[in-house]
Amino acid sequence: MAEPLPPTRPRIPGSGLAKGLAVTLRTMTRKTVTEQYPDAQPELPPRTRGVIGLFEENCTVCMLCARECPDWCIYIDSHKETVPAATPGGRDRSRNVLDRFAIDFSLCMYCGICIEVCPFDALFWSPEFEYSETDIRDLTHERDKLREWMWTVPAPPALDPGAEEPKELAAARKTADKLAAQQEADRATEPHADEQARAAEQPTRPAGDSKQQTDQPRPEQEGRE
Amino acid sequence: MTLAATVGRLAADPMSTAAGSPGFLSPTGVEIAFLLVGLVTFGAAVVTVTTRQLVHAALWLVVALGGLAVEYLLLTAEFIAWVQVLIYVGSVVVLLLFGLMLTRAPIGRSPDADSGNRWAALTVAVAAAAALVWVVVDAFRTTWIDLDGPAAGSTRVTGASLFQNWVLPFEALSVLLLAALVGAIVLSRKAKADSARTARATSAERDTPAALAEPDTRSDTEGAR
Amino acid sequence: MNDALDVTLRLLIVFVVFLSFPLIVGQTEHKVMAHMQGRLGPMYAGGFHGWAQLVADGVKFAQKEDVVPAGADRRIFQLAPAVALLPYLLVLLAIPIGPGEGAAGQVVDAGIFFVLAVMGVGVLGSLMAGWASANKFSLLGGLRTAAQLLAYELPMLLTAASVAMAAGTVSLIGILDAFEWWWLPWQIVGAIVFFVAGLAELQRPPFDMPVADSEIIFGAYTEYTGLRFALFLLAEYAGIVVLCGLTTVLFLGGWHGPWGADGLGWVWTLLKTAVLAFIVIWLRVTYPRLREDQLQKLSWTLLVPLSLAQIALTGIVKVVIQ
Repeated sequence: MAEPLPPTRPRIPGSGLAKGLAVTLRTMTRKTVTEQYPDAQPELPPRTRGVIGLFEENCTVCMLCARECPDWCIYIDSHKETVPAATPGGRDRSRNVLDRFAIDFSLCMYCGICIEVCPFDALFWSPEFEYSETDIRDLTHERDKLREWMWTVPAPPALDPGAEEPKELAAARKTADKLAAQQEADRATEPHADEQARAAEQPTRPAGDSKQQTDQPRPEQEGRE
Repeated sequence: MTLAATVGRLAADPMSTAAGSPGFLSPTGVEIAFLLVGLVTFGAAVVTVTTRQLVHAALWLVVALGGLAVEYLLLTAEFIAWVQVLIYVGSVVVLLLFGLMLTRAPIGRSPDADSGNRWAALTVAVAAAAALVWVVVDAFRTTWIDLDGPAAGSTRVTGASLFQNWVLPFEALSVLLLAALVGAIVLSRKAKADSARTARATSAERDTPAALAEPDTRSDTEGAR
Repeated sequence: MNDALDVTLRLLIVFVVFLSFPLIVGQTEHKVMAHMQGRLGPMYAGGFHGWAQLVADGVKFAQKEDVVPAGADRRIFQLAPAVALLPYLLVLLAIPIGPGEGAAGQVVDAGIFFVLAVMGVGVLGSLMAGWASANKFSLLGGLRTAAQLLAYELPMLLTAASVAMAAGTVSLIGILDAFEWWWLPWQIVGAIVFFVAGLAELQRPPFDMPVADSEIIFGAYTEYTGLRFALFLLAEYAGIVVLCGLTTVLFLGGWHGPWGADGLGWVWTLLKTAVLAFIVIWLRVTYPRLREDQLQKLSWTLLVPLSLAQIALTGIVKVVIQ
């Protein structure tokens, strides 16, 4: 109605101005996009990168994460333990035991390299994001806290209906098929002992990994107040 | 200030009816107010020309002009009073302040604000004031404005006298102002043309900027139309 | 005595209106602006949709330290907010709300001139603030304020004069008494020019070059804190109320409406004023700030000719009618 004066344009004068007014008016009648966060929890997308959780059973203290971290914000302490030989006359084995695993989230820049680099899938992205502290030193979170966050890690989103099989499953099946074929062949001819042993060993690891990831509990709202 | 005057006038009205015949010995409320405002106006005017702070001078001028407006108001010349505020306070002083700010905007005293020929100025001022006072006194002598009757300075009365008795001076002034306006436009356009010519000359020396500058200025003037 | 009582009562009412209406406009601006941008605006203060946000702001302003810069001209610096605010208070006195004795606005004979003159004085406050702050940005803001005022005062006056011509009087009440519905299309150009020029005089977006925060911080008000700053803000919002009320009275027929003529005239005035205030906010949300040269160009090459054309039209129609 009282829109300001038309600009000097060859088209209908003032049409651009009217258009602008229409846009704002239309926006006003629509629903707002404001998320009232402390009152209402946000809808987080899958694979949200909130904080890093630790599944410490998988950790072998290989230190790859600590070494790859650009900020050097991962602290790992460990000691070696000797596991006595399982079979009499066998050799004692040594094993790394994790003493401390801490991430300083005041330094962490959430690049996710540690998660990418972990060969044993011990680190995961958790969607948890409410972990502010009043003291910057309290942002160094120890393994118990990192473990708590582990339970908030959601299951990986389901694959598309026509999607390719996950790599691990495909590899496992391939090996199993191969093994079966070999056993078929073994009936006829004498097997090569070492090849068979390696083939039997292979499927366990990758398949175990993927199983572990999907089997995790899914308490999505657990860590939030 | 104007509010105070309006309220004062409202409060003073009943008193002036009681005063009866005009005389200097029994001043009415309006007359007292008139005198007081006159003193304030005079004081402000004196400070305007004596203060060494330029912007303060302009602001004291506001007080003086406002005081004049109140005087008009007290004499029931309402229209003149508001026009006084509108033109002088609203435009002339703003223009003055604009000029001051644009050039120096000094805060504090300006020692060079004093002119050497202050005595000559004083003489001229006193002579002008004396002439004005003499003319006014001579013209009106013992004329009394009846403040209680219908307002002698209302818009209707002012307009009628302006366009019946004083229409010739009014028209002459209009023509004068129009001539000044046209003169100002001519001067500013001439200056603009000159600067445009020099700009073209300088840009012609450099090859590429000339090509860039030309369409630019043209679109600018088109936008103006 | 009755006169004095009347005056005090009237002043009291105007004072209350003066304190509440700008706050209402401000709160509306918060909410409307937010929703036009897809936001919610203040939600907490006062509980229900942040209705007390501006009260909370006022409390905050009152608690702040009142700082006067060392290099500033102390007295003028401190006086400026009052000079900016008081004129609008005076103008509110003169705006007629409804017909009859009860409403304000009876005292002034040359109402239009009174209103426009006193509104012009308000800008002096910005100028004083700009100069007295001893700050480059403030000075620039003051300069822009002055330039803007000089440019936009003229079309505003001319369009107001057009209405006065149409009504044959310069009293606001007289204009409303003479109002007919067909004045609306007759004076529409003048109404738009008046409204736009008034926006520019109030330094409201899109004409807020004098306080353009992205380039000169906050113009003339840069150095102000606490209550004095709040007074400047209050002056701006009071200015919106005054401008909308004036446009209503001059161009939209004030208390006249299709129905409810007796007793409910003031509702019409308030309704029209509210709609105009909404438009002020709407314009602020929609349009980007005009550059300084565009500002001047708009006034001198568009608004002034338009208002002159409006005056010519008014004169022609007036003569034809007679």
